[in-house]
Amino acid sequence: MEQNILKVTDIKKSFAGVQALKGVSLEINAGEIHCLAGENGSGKSTLIKVISGVYTPDAGQIVFGEKTYNKITPIESIRNGVQVIYQDFSIFPNLTVMENLAFNQELANKRKLVNRRRMRQIAEEAIGRIHFDVDLDAKVGSLSVASKQLVAICRALMFDAKLIIMDEPTTALTRKEVNALFKIILELKDQGIATLFVSHKLNEVFEISERFTILRNGERVITGATSELNNKKFAYYMTGREFEDGSFEPKDISKEPILEAQGLGLDGYFDDVSFRLHRGEILGITGLLGSGRTELALSLFGMRQVDSGTITIEGKQVRLKSPEIAMNHGIGYVPEDRLTEGLFLPRSIGKNIIVSELDSLSSRLGVINRTDKKKEIHRWVKELSIATPNPDNACSTLSGGNQQRVVLAKWLARDLKILILNGPTMGVDIGSKHDIHQLLKRLAEQGLGIIIISDDIPEILANCSKILIMRNGKINAMLSPEEADEQIIFQRMA
Amino acid sequence: MKRIFAIVLVLLLVFSTAACAKTAGPAKGKESDWEIVVVPKDATNPWFVRMDVGVKEYAKESGLNVYQKGTPEIDATLQSQLIQDLIAAKVDAICVVPVDPGSLEPVLKQARDKGIIVIAHEGAPLTNVDYDIEAFSNDQYGAFIMDNLAESMGEEGLYTTMVAHVTNASHNEWADGGVKRQQEKYPNMTLLEAEPRVESEDNGDIAYQTAKELFKKYPDLKGIMGTSSYDAPGVARAIQELGLEGKVFTSGTGMPADNAELLKAGAVKALTLWDPALAGKAMAALAVKMLRGEEIKDPVDLGVEGYTNLKFKEGSSTVLEGEGWIVINAENVDSFGF
Amino acid sequence: MTKFVKNLTQRNETYIFIVIVVLSLMIQFRSGQFFTSNNIVDQLSALIVPGLFALGAFMVIVSGGVDVSCPALASLSMYATTRILVDINYQGGIFLPIIMSLFFGAILGAINGVLIASFNLPPLIVTLGTSSVFKGIMQGVLGSVQIPVIPRGMSSFGAASLFIAKNPQTGLTSRMPVAFMALVIVLIIVYFFLQRTMYGRGLYAVGGNEISAHRAGFNVWMIKFLLYVGVGMISSLAGLIRVCMMTQAHPTNMLGMEMMVIAGVVLGGTAITGGAGSLTGCMLGTILIVAVQNSLILLGIPTFWQGLFLGLLILVGMGVSALQVTRATKVKGPMIKGAQS
Ligand SMILES: Nc1ncnc2c1ncn2[C@@H]1O[C@H](COP(=O)(O)OP(=O)(O)OP(=O)(O)O)[C@@H](O)[C@H]1O
Ligand SMILES: [Mg+2]
Repeated sequence: MEQNILKVTDIKKSFAGVQALKGVSLEINAGEIHCLAGENGSGKSTLIKVISGVYTPDAGQIVFGEKTYNKITPIESIRNGVQVIYQDFSIFPNLTVMENLAFNQELANKRKLVNRRRMRQIAEEAIGRIHFDVDLDAKVGSLSVASKQLVAICRALMFDAKLIIMDEPTTALTRKEVNALFKIILELKDQGIATLFVSHKLNEVFEISERFTILRNGERVITGATSELNNKKFAYYMTGREFEDGSFEPKDISKEPILEAQGLGLDGYFDDVSFRLHRGEILGITGLLGSGRTELALSLFGMRQVDSGTITIEGKQVRLKSPEIAMNHGIGYVPEDRLTEGLFLPRSIGKNIIVSELDSLSSRLGVINRTDKKKEIHRWVKELSIATPNPDNACSTLSGGNQQRVVLAKWLARDLKILILNGPTMGVDIGSKHDIHQLLKRLAEQGLGIIIISDDIPEILANCSKILIMRNGKINAMLSPEEADEQIIFQRMA
Repeated sequence: MKRIFAIVLVLLLVFSTAACAKTAGPAKGKESDWEIVVVPKDATNPWFVRMDVGVKEYAKESGLNVYQKGTPEIDATLQSQLIQDLIAAKVDAICVVPVDPGSLEPVLKQARDKGIIVIAHEGAPLTNVDYDIEAFSNDQYGAFIMDNLAESMGEEGLYTTMVAHVTNASHNEWADGGVKRQQEKYPNMTLLEAEPRVESEDNGDIAYQTAKELFKKYPDLKGIMGTSSYDAPGVARAIQELGLEGKVFTSGTGMPADNAELLKAGAVKALTLWDPALAGKAMAALAVKMLRGEEIKDPVDLGVEGYTNLKFKEGSSTVLEGEGWIVINAENVDSFGF
Repeated sequence: MTKFVKNLTQRNETYIFIVIVVLSLMIQFRSGQFFTSNNIVDQLSALIVPGLFALGAFMVIVSGGVDVSCPALASLSMYATTRILVDINYQGGIFLPIIMSLFFGAILGAINGVLIASFNLPPLIVTLGTSSVFKGIMQGVLGSVQIPVIPRGMSSFGAASLFIAKNPQTGLTSRMPVAFMALVIVLIIVYFFLQRTMYGRGLYAVGGNEISAHRAGFNVWMIKFLLYVGVGMISSLAGLIRVCMMTQAHPTNMLGMEMMVIAGVVLGGTAITGGAGSLTGCMLGTILIVAVQNSLILLGIPTFWQGLFLGLLILVGMGVSALQVTRATKVKGPMIKGAQS
């Protein structure tokens, strides 16, 4: 029989008002690749934090081989061979790549003094494992998101680990980088190192994992072999609901375009981009990371100013010099990086939702009507089923996926004509993804013009009425969903 | 039972406030109910610690409720807050040594509007006071310091003046008085035109650093006329360190105990001074005189040494000047007991 | 070589250094007295106390906090030390006073440390509070007044000099106090801790991302606690040195220094948000502030304008270096041609 390296039994953990884990058990065998799945807020990250010693469980045990713990410190967890790559990477942006890579090991070895030569060696070995090319003396804060994650991954890999836990490791990676990561996970497996990873992306789960565990509402629904799993079952276990995947057929598209872009260009990012968006339409823009898709979105929201070309809204040519101006023209933007661009994490959920709506809720004197405010907040919390006991709680207490919904709510609460969403369901589970898609379609039917920017091709195919593929800053193709499939789109992107 | 108690209580309260109302206003009420507060620039400066000695002595001799209350730091804002608190506490008289006279005017006005007697010391430019007592005419005291300095400098050479802050009223009047005396009496001395007045911020270390800078930049500088009690000791330290003993000189105000070593070592020849204890006593005595409703008429006799012959400053109806200065030097420094 | 130059242009220290050089040249030009042996010694000796405070403030800021209680802590500790020694008519050398003030400093620092590390209170609020408490204890409980004569051991330490610099032209002499060695030694210790020990790196880590530091296995509580204890000790030492050098104890003499000290540290490129900054920058920033404070007369700035001048200098200094650094480190977005690998 296979030997388990980690066993947790009957873990319970609650936060003020929320029982995040209600008695979860999990076993990880040596060298296995195990997927942990579940809807947003089902307790995945919490479980990981319990295993790594960040949270103390209210009840339950953590067993490493012979050793049984009722609670564990981060150091003990590391000594037992557990390494975690957190959703927020847990890096030190102010320190060098070398220090970021070497700290954990130095601390675990109880080193008191700094030895730069030894640290450099550790760091070189670490990046060598995945052939990651980076300046070891660069400050981590100056790296791209993908590189930051690679630093976090390297840090975990170089460790003498028996189990590597990755919380949504692929969200910010391009397909190519994901492939590289999977190759490494397989390599680790050969060395007898187990991987536990959290992912919402079905294809990833099927592609790499051997076993899976699904959580729902803080409880374990099932653990089993991936080979016995299929799409439908997976979705059902996660949500307790069944879904039909459809495509979007816009009902009444306005004759005149609500937004028209003519020959837009931004030096170094994109060039000669033209398209039209009508009311009732959902336009999908896709492309690889670095294809200019994000910069295009930012330009449409006034966060960057185009160097050439014109933007016309409802027949009037406009200059989007700032987000404020864009907002005044009825444009909304849901950013890609919800953590840094979209939310005030320490503020309450409610405040976050209505922050951009305050104008319309305040009377002429600038006094905010309290009851209206409350009503609005409750409406959106309900509409987007944001999982919180109380909208007055800080946004930081929400799970990742729920934070994404707050960002969405914040914009939907405004009276918009055009909504631009960059990676609208990044890090969101299937259940909520489905809900968000339904909502977007409904909004389009109500006459909103929507632009979705995403590299999740099934999402684009299922939701958009027109697809724009960008490559190296240029529009490489403009397709309708009928004439496209995943294969074609992939070809046009690369 | 409870209700009766409450009614009695209310009646008592009404009665007592009525009684209070009757005593409000000067020259009325029982003497033992009076509350006279002396507010110095701060509570820890030895100068004001000494003042407190006098205030306490006066309280004991007169048997009246007179006491001193200072702020923890020399700070104009803190001082005006303290006075506001005293106004709220409905004291009968406030005797104040202002940190920054200008910024104190509004609160003092409030106090007088509420019928509180306001006496100042070292606050000649104040308008919202009943009287301001000066130990002496600032002019004459400045001249006195200058005489001292001139004597050590051999009545010749370049000099400048140092004050705590250029906004400090009396320090600047002393300095002006000193300069005037020099112009009249010591033709061979000259004021340093480029830096006629420097600040020590009432901080010995700053006085020291500033003096060092002055001596470096102006090698001909032969004397610094200090005013604040931190000036001369700080300057003397600089003189010692720069190796200028016997070549350059300083003078100023200073407490005997604090400066005994400096005086004996010869770094400073003589310091001038008035006794803050007597000044505190005088303020309190004047306040009491007013509360008793006595007429204040030139010359005023407060029954305090050096303040028995107070005269109004020329052209002023509020500033009273005494003759309370003294000289301390190596010989007499140990005889003061403070 | 070009990399080295580029590196320099991206560092705040370079710009502060240039500002210092320009300023010294200005002072030299206006007074002819800056680059004289005795003036340099004067500047260094004036640096001792602010320099020590700055080292403490620097470490706290690096950890992501801010400590405004240092001068009050130093005042209380130096006052208690001096008072006790005067009262027992202490006749010995400087050793016991140093030990005593380090002890008081550690205790007072520990109060800050416990409040900040255990209860996770914002450091600014805590130290504002303890600052008042320390002043209150000194003035209320100990009834502080100026102590005009301090134990001989202390005053002779304050007056002891390493060497005496004599300006051959003016004949002025300035002594380099032995106490300067205290600054040098503390600087070396702090440097060693920050750069060579995991504890020191932990300070940077906590300042960069406290949660990550905890996850990486740093003992965050201990790091913060020891930090404030250490800073308390350094500040106390500064207080004691001030007393010794002045040969008198003025209880209020240091109060209010915290703002200039923090300004110096930030001017030297230490991020007020924590996690970033170098000791070189910290010292350069402090040198700049001290040099300016002690050269306003040499510069010939009229007394009335000195405060304004100092404030403007801080603003301009900070602005210039911030601007240069952002300009130098600005990264271009990914280019189309070399698209991402
Ligand atoms: N520090 C906290 N304080 C209060 N509630 C919390 C805290 N951390 C998590 N929760 C709550 O616990 C529940 C589980 O959260 P968790 O982050 O584990 O979800 P998750 O499965 O990782 O979700 P996602 O896929 O969205 O990341 C959520 O309802 C969340 O709001
Ligand atoms: Mg999560």
